[in-house]
Amino acid sequence: MQRLLIGFIALAVVIVLLCVATLCFGAVNIPFADVVQALFSPGADVSSNILWNLRIPRMIAAILAGASLAVSGLSLQTVFRNPLAGPFVLGISSGASLGVALALLAGIGFGSVGVLGSAALGALLVTLVVMFAATRFAQTGVLLIVGLLTGYFIDSIVSVLIAGNSSESLRVYVAWGMGSFGRVTLGDVWIFVVAVLVGLVMIGVSLRYLNAALLGDDFAHGLGLNVKRSKICVLLGASLLAGATTAFCGPVAFIGIAVPHLAYLLFKTTNHRVLLPGAALCGMALALLGGLFPASVPLNAVLSLVGVPVIMWVLVRGSGARF
Amino acid sequence: MTNAESQNVLLECKDLLVGYGAALETMKCPFDFALSSGTVVALMGENGCGKSSLLKTFAGLLKPVAGEVSLEGKSLTEWAPRERAQEISLVRMSSAVPLRMSVNEFVRLGRSPYSGIFDSRTAEDNRVVEESMTLLDVLSFADRPIAELSDGERSRVFLAEAVAQQVKVLLLDEPNAFLDIPRSHALFRLLKKIATERDMGIIVSTHSVEYAERYCDKIMVVNGGTVRVAPASEARKEGLLDWTDACYE
Repeated sequence: MQRLLIGFIALAVVIVLLCVATLCFGAVNIPFADVVQALFSPGADVSSNILWNLRIPRMIAAILAGASLAVSGLSLQTVFRNPLAGPFVLGISSGASLGVALALLAGIGFGSVGVLGSAALGALLVTLVVMFAATRFAQTGVLLIVGLLTGYFIDSIVSVLIAGNSSESLRVYVAWGMGSFGRVTLGDVWIFVVAVLVGLVMIGVSLRYLNAALLGDDFAHGLGLNVKRSKICVLLGASLLAGATTAFCGPVAFIGIAVPHLAYLLFKTTNHRVLLPGAALCGMALALLGGLFPASVPLNAVLSLVGVPVIMWVLVRGSGARF
Repeated sequence: MTNAESQNVLLECKDLLVGYGAALETMKCPFDFALSSGTVVALMGENGCGKSSLLKTFAGLLKPVAGEVSLEGKSLTEWAPRERAQEISLVRMSSAVPLRMSVNEFVRLGRSPYSGIFDSRTAEDNRVVEESMTLLDVLSFADRPIAELSDGERSRVFLAEAVAQQVKVLLLDEPNAFLDIPRSHALFRLLKKIATERDMGIIVSTHSVEYAERYCDKIMVVNGGTVRVAPASEARKEGLLDWTDACYE
């Protein structure tokens, strides 16, 4: 009990500090007093402009992306009972990339409903493939191979699409592919918020299933759960979260696969009542931290620097590898 | 059958035909069976004869090929899943356990059918969990990961989970497969005790004729695609155990 309290308070403090840092530091040096003033009484000056049009949207994007990917990764790991599952490994992020690439080539701007819609659709499509594979093959190893292959396949489709295109859409797509929290604007951030909330609710109402699913579908059925319905609900929620994040921030690697393990290290429980919010908070903190680096360093490079050691740890410890 | 007796029946099947094995082969003859409260039934038969499939059918995990299973007078298919989970539980020792889950967390899952949408636990839930863990003597290692336990300890943890579920009908698939001899005796004594004290009906599959005859009230044998039931004291006389002496070359 004490561990939970300390864990959540520590995470909350870290997140608040990182939020403050996100608002205070950036390419342009703004004194702290000006930041506070721009925050509480925004005017027409440069400071207010930077704060409200750049830094606040970036902060919100990092918070939403971190929470979504962490929750999406955790629920995928639980449903497929595999510690290495995640939106990336299962190809769901690639599916979203395909959607974005198609939308970009069709000339729809960033952040609009069109890009989000096609990204979510792409993510959903891959989720359906993975779901089909999961019902056909019992071993989760096969599932991961199917996910990885699907990811590779989609990446090549995207490459072919990009190769036959003008340098302008190529440039935009490559920039998007590096991942960034800086592309969300205050005007369309609400779409991101709504998509994430819907995804979180779909997974949140399936808490009973997630806890029982750790022991397999037959066990969950024995506890009186509607396994089929809950599973679909969780997977749709997870792909919506991953799809929305990919649409707005690009394919952000590692949070989905690494953060659930971080959350476990912190809270030492398999109960999703604790683990889900815990992972969401850890994801927020990691994303905010990654977003603090200068825009010239690609976000994915920063996140991989943190993510790779965590995955290494999981593999070496072996605790996760066999689940 | 008098009225008083029929009220006592927890699980009943009529003209039941069960499919089993990978090819879902169907058993030869349909059978009737009733499980009354306070009784322990031993389910016996060779490997691959369909014992596990029979238990799964009783638990509603497998659809019967023909016939019907009813739980407390109501067809199994008419039960709402969550209410059914408060009345019947199938415990399989072979279930793969997640490496990180502790004994305490696992036993608490048994309260899942009673919990709300956010899977919280009440004081009553905590009391039942602790009582079940005491009954199965697993409290001393409540915080250890299940995956690190010995097979015998794990069997008791699985049972504690089912007891915490407070079901009326308990179906056990080879609970003593991994237990040593003293623990097996203790387990069967315990089954008889909780069946009597809590008015439960228990069906337990086992390969041990000794435990079946000594601790169970009835013996149910699946052999050659037919299911036969007799009181434990008469099973041998009626030839239900003849198959145990068959020799293979």
